[in-house]
Amino acid sequence: MKKIDQKEKAVVIIGSGAGGGTMAYELTKAGIPCVCLEAGPFHKKEDYVNDEWGAFLQMAWLDTRTTSGNWRVAKDFSGLPTWLCKAVGGTTTHWAGATPRFMDYEFKTKSTYGKVKGASLLDWPVSLKDMEPYYTRAEDAIGSTHRGGRPALPANNNYKVFAEGAKRVGYKYYATGPYGTNAAPYDGRPGSIQDGFNFQGDKNGSKWSTAKREIPRALQTNLLDLRTDSHVTRITHDKNGMVDGVIYRDVDGNEQRQEAKVVILSGNSIESPRLLLMSDSSMFPDGLANSSGEVGRNYMRHLTGSMYARFEKPVNFYRGETMAGFCADEVKHNPKRGFVGGYYMETLALGPAFLGSFLEPGGWGREFTNMMDGYENIAGMWIVGEDMPQSKNRITLNTDVKDQYGNPVPNVHFDEHPNDIAMRTYAYEKAEDLYNSVGAVQTWRTPPYPSTHNLGTNRMSAKPKDGVVNKWGRTHDIKNLYIADGSVMTTGAAANPTLTITALSIRFSENVISEIKKGNI
Amino acid sequence: MNISRRNFIFGSIASSVFISLWDIDPSKAEIKIGDNPEDKKLLMKMCRDVYPHDRFPEGPYEKTAADVISKGNKGSENKAMLSEGIESLKKVKYGKMNFKKSTKYLKKIESSKFFQHVRSTTVVTLYNDPEVWGLLGYEGASFDKGGYINRGFNDLDWLPEPRIEEHPDLAAFLKADPNRLAAIEEMIKTN
Repeated sequence: MKKIDQKEKAVVIIGSGAGGGTMAYELTKAGIPCVCLEAGPFHKKEDYVNDEWGAFLQMAWLDTRTTSGNWRVAKDFSGLPTWLCKAVGGTTTHWAGATPRFMDYEFKTKSTYGKVKGASLLDWPVSLKDMEPYYTRAEDAIGSTHRGGRPALPANNNYKVFAEGAKRVGYKYYATGPYGTNAAPYDGRPGSIQDGFNFQGDKNGSKWSTAKREIPRALQTNLLDLRTDSHVTRITHDKNGMVDGVIYRDVDGNEQRQEAKVVILSGNSIESPRLLLMSDSSMFPDGLANSSGEVGRNYMRHLTGSMYARFEKPVNFYRGETMAGFCADEVKHNPKRGFVGGYYMETLALGPAFLGSFLEPGGWGREFTNMMDGYENIAGMWIVGEDMPQSKNRITLNTDVKDQYGNPVPNVHFDEHPNDIAMRTYAYEKAEDLYNSVGAVQTWRTPPYPSTHNLGTNRMSAKPKDGVVNKWGRTHDIKNLYIADGSVMTTGAAANPTLTITALSIRFSENVISEIKKGNI
Repeated sequence: MNISRRNFIFGSIASSVFISLWDIDPSKAEIKIGDNPEDKKLLMKMCRDVYPHDRFPEGPYEKTAADVISKGNKGSENKAMLSEGIESLKKVKYGKMNFKKSTKYLKKIESSKFFQHVRSTTVVTLYNDPEVWGLLGYEGASFDKGGYINRGFNDLDWLPEPRIEEHPDLAAFLKADPNRLAAIEEMIKTN
């Protein structure tokens, strides 16, 4: 592996997930050496385990965090607001694989939805037209089914119930994808063996992640210095206000410094704003890149909820690809339903261990165990829709609580917007109709899990006063500091975000490469 | 890392996940609260009343009660909680209550630390037990057996085979202007 001297002014990427992993691949492919600092270890596919809690403890980000606000996660999982990963590949190790694109108007929700009280909607500085070529490249990288001539996954048991229910209630737009796990061998990865442990890393290697594709390929160029177990705690700057290095803790907890000419921050929507806020100085008393005051604000986590339904006959929904079932009929904005925006329905299956803990956090008694007792006969879906950005929903530094390095932990504040609640209630009713149409004997409205989609805390904006980065992911304030992760999303759309994060990172990388080659940074 | 930190990490509801799964080194406390046949039986009844599965044998509940006892002996605060909890069960003659009466009683003490300890330990330990997985018909780890591709991932036969491809109109639907779409829907409805 390439070694870059810590004193050499390097291109430094913080994080190796959908954003950072993609950046590392695109930059090294273009001949630019990079240092990639990843807070977690490098698990290979043989390290992954077919065990829900075992895998959770292996890869989840479990550093101390605090929560506030009226969302139920703050009560049920007060120290675990998110379900993200600390590992090479970031949350692509855990992601399910759904790869819908944003729709055109989802890049301009302020113009489309009009004024929504309490919401800080803003149009993106990029359009679907700008994004289309990058979406195609991202789908080809991921190997999305139903796209680029790639075959669909077969119907598993959970999908059979879901699709028939969808058909009976009059929905049309259901399919087994688009989905980021191979149905047939593609790009060096095998077809799915339907092992049912997609969230646990996928031992078979059929699911795309940057730990399986981008990072190994970047290492093959011999231009990537990948440092695992390296947790960045500060970005430093020179007297001209340009970033010039990062401070991090190595695997032994010792403080290290890497000199930098360019820093690309890809730490996700919690850690990226946290790092900017922790990097305050006399020149930047509110943190780096924060002249707008928007760093950490407009935190979104998608409207989510799950519907589990029990039937008289066996389903065995745990067998097969976890989320290979998709229905788009409710995704279009239609305010006549009583809310703005829309949502997707996607199949979801959990083992008894997770279902017990997440079906109804805190729940107990006969009604609960009736559901669990019928485990073999359960089908399930996840509801994922657009939630409203709100300025007060934000990541701040909690100086009362310190992490393992003595740094303030991030506090995640989230209050649900009335639009979120209206959409979730509507979606639960529709999901009940769907399962009742195929003979459900019991249904269960499961509340949101700790957030897997974390978005919007360094939003992209046309004007510097409205956000943190421009349409190339470059911070408005500091020209050699870029951000490439879900935090740059101006608004959340209904789509699962990984495809868009990957597509944005490919797009941003072109600007980084061109600016470096021109000698501008 | 002590128990209060674990509680803090996960929140009160699910704290036992960390206690259950991270503490492979159970404390060797000298006096074990609840570690006698009478108390254990009482706690087993409580675990079963909180998560009742009539078809489950005693085994899984026995393992769960042992876990409730083991974790309830970690630290003096927990010991006091467990000891008081067991005493209060004895005081109301919980052991003799039928399921209906037990449930009514448990509902009353639902917010107590003791109840939360028993409930949150049980929900994790019981449903993470391979014996229970077998009883529920969950086959678990599958990679070593070649996944489920040849072992029933699509064996559901009580519904028709669904379409797996996208509907031909999907692309147009996603492209359509949402306001126009709403207007058309309204038109269809009113006609």
